[in-house]
Amino acid sequence: MSDVVVIGAGLAGLTAALRLARAGRSVTLATKGPGGLQLSQGTIDVLGYTPERVTRPLDAVAAVAPGHPYASIGQDAVGSAVSWLAEVLGPDLLVGDPSRNYQLPTAVGAIRPTALAQPSMIAGEAAGGRSYAVVGVRQLKDFPADLIAGNLARTTAPDGSRLAAHSAFIDLPARRGEADPTPLTYARAMDDEAFADRFARDVAAVAGKADVVALPAVLGVRRSGVWRQVAEVIGRDVCEIPLPPPSVPGLRLYDALLGMARAAGVRFIQGSRIVGFEAADGGTIASVTLAAAGGPRALRASSFVFAPGGFESGALDVDSHGAITEPVFGLPLTATDAGPLIPEVYWGPHPLFEVGVRTDDAGRPAGTDGAAVHPNLYVAGGIIAGAERWREKSGDGIAVATAVRAADHITGGAR
Amino acid sequence: MKRLDTDVVVIGGGSTGLGVVRDAAMRGYRAVLLERVDLGQGTTGRFHGLLHSGGRYVVSDPGSATECAEENAILRRIQPGAVEDTGGFFVTLAGDDPAYADKFLAGAAATGVPATEISVKEALRREPRLDPHIQRAIEVADGSVDGWQLVWGAARSAMEHRAKILTYHRVTKIERDGDRVAAVLCRDEKGGEDVRIDCTFVLNCAGPWAGQIAEMAGASPVEVVPGRGIMIAMNHRLVNTVINRCVYPTDGDILVPVHTVSIIGTTDVHETDPDHLPIPRNEVQQMLDAGEAMIPGFRKARALHAWSGSRPLIKDKRVSVEDTRHMSRGMAVIDHSKRDGLLGMLTIGGGKLTTYRLMAEHIVDAMNEQLGEDRPCTTADEVVPGSRDGRLYTVTHRLEDREEDRLDDPIICECELMNRSMFVKALHEQPDATLDDLRRQLRLGMGPCQGGFCAARAAGLACSEQVADAERASGLLRLFLKHRWIGLWPILYGQQVRQTALDHWIFAGTLDVEHLPQPEEEIVR
Amino acid sequence: MSEKSRNERAQALRDRLNTELQRMSLDMCVKCTICETACPVAAVTPLFSGPKFVGPQAERFRDEESVDHSVDYCSSCGTCSVVCPQGVNVAELNSLARAVMKAEQGVPVRDRMITQTVLMGKAMTPVAPIANAVLDNKLARYAMEKVVGVHRDAPMPTARGESLHKWLKKRPKPTKAPTRGALVYFHGCAGGYFEVDAAKKAIEVLEHIGYEVIVPDQGCCGLAEQSNGLFEQASASVRRLVDQLRTPGTDLTIISTAGSCTGMLKHEAHQILGIHDPELLDVGTRIREISEFLMELHAAGELPTDFRPVEMRLPYHAPCQLKSQGIGTPASDLLRLIPGLEVIDSNVTCCGIAGTYGLKKEKYEIAQAVGQPLFDMVQANNDGLAACDTETCRWQIEKSSGVETVHPIVLVHRAYGLSS
Repeated sequence: MSDVVVIGAGLAGLTAALRLARAGRSVTLATKGPGGLQLSQGTIDVLGYTPERVTRPLDAVAAVAPGHPYASIGQDAVGSAVSWLAEVLGPDLLVGDPSRNYQLPTAVGAIRPTALAQPSMIAGEAAGGRSYAVVGVRQLKDFPADLIAGNLARTTAPDGSRLAAHSAFIDLPARRGEADPTPLTYARAMDDEAFADRFARDVAAVAGKADVVALPAVLGVRRSGVWRQVAEVIGRDVCEIPLPPPSVPGLRLYDALLGMARAAGVRFIQGSRIVGFEAADGGTIASVTLAAAGGPRALRASSFVFAPGGFESGALDVDSHGAITEPVFGLPLTATDAGPLIPEVYWGPHPLFEVGVRTDDAGRPAGTDGAAVHPNLYVAGGIIAGAERWREKSGDGIAVATAVRAADHITGGAR
Repeated sequence: MKRLDTDVVVIGGGSTGLGVVRDAAMRGYRAVLLERVDLGQGTTGRFHGLLHSGGRYVVSDPGSATECAEENAILRRIQPGAVEDTGGFFVTLAGDDPAYADKFLAGAAATGVPATEISVKEALRREPRLDPHIQRAIEVADGSVDGWQLVWGAARSAMEHRAKILTYHRVTKIERDGDRVAAVLCRDEKGGEDVRIDCTFVLNCAGPWAGQIAEMAGASPVEVVPGRGIMIAMNHRLVNTVINRCVYPTDGDILVPVHTVSIIGTTDVHETDPDHLPIPRNEVQQMLDAGEAMIPGFRKARALHAWSGSRPLIKDKRVSVEDTRHMSRGMAVIDHSKRDGLLGMLTIGGGKLTTYRLMAEHIVDAMNEQLGEDRPCTTADEVVPGSRDGRLYTVTHRLEDREEDRLDDPIICECELMNRSMFVKALHEQPDATLDDLRRQLRLGMGPCQGGFCAARAAGLACSEQVADAERASGLLRLFLKHRWIGLWPILYGQQVRQTALDHWIFAGTLDVEHLPQPEEEIVR
Repeated sequence: MSEKSRNERAQALRDRLNTELQRMSLDMCVKCTICETACPVAAVTPLFSGPKFVGPQAERFRDEESVDHSVDYCSSCGTCSVVCPQGVNVAELNSLARAVMKAEQGVPVRDRMITQTVLMGKAMTPVAPIANAVLDNKLARYAMEKVVGVHRDAPMPTARGESLHKWLKKRPKPTKAPTRGALVYFHGCAGGYFEVDAAKKAIEVLEHIGYEVIVPDQGCCGLAEQSNGLFEQASASVRRLVDQLRTPGTDLTIISTAGSCTGMLKHEAHQILGIHDPELLDVGTRIREISEFLMELHAAGELPTDFRPVEMRLPYHAPCQLKSQGIGTPASDLLRLIPGLEVIDSNVTCCGIAGTYGLKKEKYEIAQAVGQPLFDMVQANNDGLAACDTETCRWQIEKSSGVETVHPIVLVHRAYGLSS
């Protein structure tokens, strides 16, 4: 029997598992998939829009509405949780300061705030009238260099300066005989020094004059420092721009966090859903039920951290009548009828996606009276109500802060 | 002001208009077609996808039944590329009156609609997802048809015969010279110009908007009753045969496999404005129930997209305005010379897509008569461009094609297996097209991810192919996302909620599309 | 095989795809690409478009005749189904689609032959030294490749001179009386004929802990037949095996050292072959892979942990067919209980062999590329031994890395002081 069972291998689950393991607890992490890190941009958002663009995220955290996941955690705890993650992952993976947002270009040429970024990205900060040479790869269909450069060129940066940008392309297959690589196929090829060198030379030949060469985020996945090698060959700053899934920067974070968790002794069970639980009188959860091949298995523990994601993972379900439920624990939700929450208009808030679980101050799911439903069950990440995370750019900060809160409550104190 | 001179102006880019312009062009008339948005965006783009065997009408509307049976066979010959030979069943569900099937068979025999009763066991063997409690099953020659492939095939044929097809041209006035039609005035929405087309004849094929067009000629009101119905596309082919309920026509009694989806429909509600067709929640639930009655477990399947279309029914003295279903589906040709003293204009209403060619034949015959001409119709004799290999559409086509070329040609819309060459070709042929215009022809964004992965790729290609600059390409992307949502929010449940959440993570979370630099003017069409 | 019966067979398989959970599960796909990134075959060759492409994506376009033959590059490792966050049965979809295709085309003789593992075992055992010599002989292997299509370098099992059942008959009765009741032991074809040593050790460990081990007569689980599209034969095999494993009684736990065969009984025979027999469900519920069983005992405080130290680095590879059972990697946890043993997890997805996939001449290079990181890792981290729970993977690792590869139970046997 483990001390803690963590459900979910997203940023919240992995953060909780790692924090608990390093505090000396025995942890089993049960997950169906690999969480959502490789579907995301690979940086740590704390708070990006309120809906105005945010430059100082922790200040914005202090001002959130009462129902927001950050409200009961507070600015200091959010900042220290995110800083802990950065410390744990190290500056080869995350740089920055949670009190200040980078403003980075996206793969369609918008400018997006984020608090901690990968070191390979930050030279692209949209500030000071920066000029970009956006170099795409003919074979990579998810990096439209012309579109990105065209949009950057007509952008006034958040600091008021005008950006400049032009585009170019190289033609370099990642593998012979392949016309349709994924970003990961490319990144794996870049793990090879010789290929990365060839790539950099091809880019250098077409890039032209600019402060920074903006490239698709495929600069290696296993080998760190590929971006440095490429920058050195080109002789200029480079910045990676995150792409739609599969996200190579996201994978880097996942591989690192999972590796550290396993090295710290976390037992990792992947491929089976958690489908139910057994509770004793008083509501203390004794075990959760793993739907393994061949039959259900009980995973017993003293405490449980439930970090299964939100609507995207099906942790919150809407049936064909519009009824919203949380199918594993049957937790009370902030709304149960999806109908009125789905807007007719695309641009603007989508209140359905703010629905989720309320928590008490310890991070345990709670009913409307604020009392914990189960004394030893905690929630973290996207299942918590009160934020449209992708819109306001807060998902990562919520995941990390709520995971740390849960872990620390279990271990009886912050580190 | 631009000026054109022609014999006949056809108004309306749906199946009726395209059938008419093709027929007129093939008979040697100079012809121009005007459509205010894209081809097949009206009723033709919002129908069920059904190529009727005629079975549905054998009891309720025998004339239509015979017409459907005959035209079904003709379309398979002249436009096989748009038609899939799915076959069809009429099934008596557990609670339905089994005697209706006998009426059905009698009606089929009387109207010349091929229909054979098969055993329930055989029906269930061929379509194992059917409710095992069905009582009877009758096999018919239903097919499914892609409305856009249909109209574009007709358009290309018309253009081969030197017709002009002008999309995004909105009619503003129909001028008369005394008691004759003289010209049609319209606005080129994309070019931003006014256009005057001098002509001898106007054929009003504007479907649910026919009344508005007739008004522009100063005719007395033509009452078109838009009978609105919703349809829902389910994410995969729950059946490979068209399934009809063997009852007097009612709501939600047909499930049609079209391309990679199956479409359940439909309802029938009197609507007043064909430009505002809601998709009410209660009708969605009604369609899900209807699907569940035919296919147990239907509600657990994934709903992909919903839409609302309106049937262009001309007011008929036999039934009241409220009861739109039982109006004659037959065609009505209104001769404005008799009715309004206006020579040179005909309005056509009613009909169904399956008989579009026949409708066109009737109206061009009527035009012939008024002009004192004697040019015969040959539309049933010539195969349209794109169908000349004689192959009927099969759902495996794109998979087979991609198996051949996937190592040479990247796939842009992975859900619907649309590759780069297909998209780039269409981009260059139609540089003013929106992504939705291209979607209708190529199925971009019509699969499970609803544009989540392919919309940005498409916008990116428009830019790198230098068909659009960054500002326009960004506008095209935003417009596409806005339009996709119209058909998503009414059926947002189950798996499609998860998909939507992931798509939001991509567009808002990673790409931050909302914060692209604002355009001078938002693209609206 | 007549054209008509071949079409009927293909049609029957297609009907299953169209109706059962496999195809409905395609609705769960949100195109997230997670399965593609995890696929070990797509990682090494562009010839395979990836599990998302040939699974839930292509399935929406399939009807009647198969048109996409590239689905055959899928090795059925099952990794895609394990990692799919939405619960799409990707691997099962691919397996069924491939079976349809093979039913239409007819299954080549080669694929029929290499599935006959029990037959091979029975035939080879009495003439083991000769059989092994033939399998080692380059000329003979070259001929095999040309005629039958099994790659000349593909790893082949080594026949033993004595089958497990013969050993069981001949050995003296265990001296220790059982204190914990009886278990049924399922050894698999490897344990019965090719790697008899591991099976013997498993029995001895279980007896050491206090169990009576019953070893009924038993045949093949049908997995190899299933992965080659021979669904009827596979169904017959697995049903026969299920009956055999039930003969000692239906309230006993069944222990297996055959990792992939365990998976067949736990879920694959149901999901891929479509067998719904309550007898299969019964066996699937009672069966435990041996490390899984020992760790369950450990969780209940019932596993003796008086292990002697085994001082060595031990690279351990968790096989695909074990990971797909969704119970984690219990062997890795178990080995870590042995003092002195430095267990190094491979962190590689797949060894490449995928049952019989890597034996085939047209798939051999792909299989080797898939497993190369594993072979490198084993070579770089071993002190003479590596461990893996499934037999074909062990043969693959051993052949390609040169390091002797054993079932984890061999280390446990040693740590209990049972090895001489």
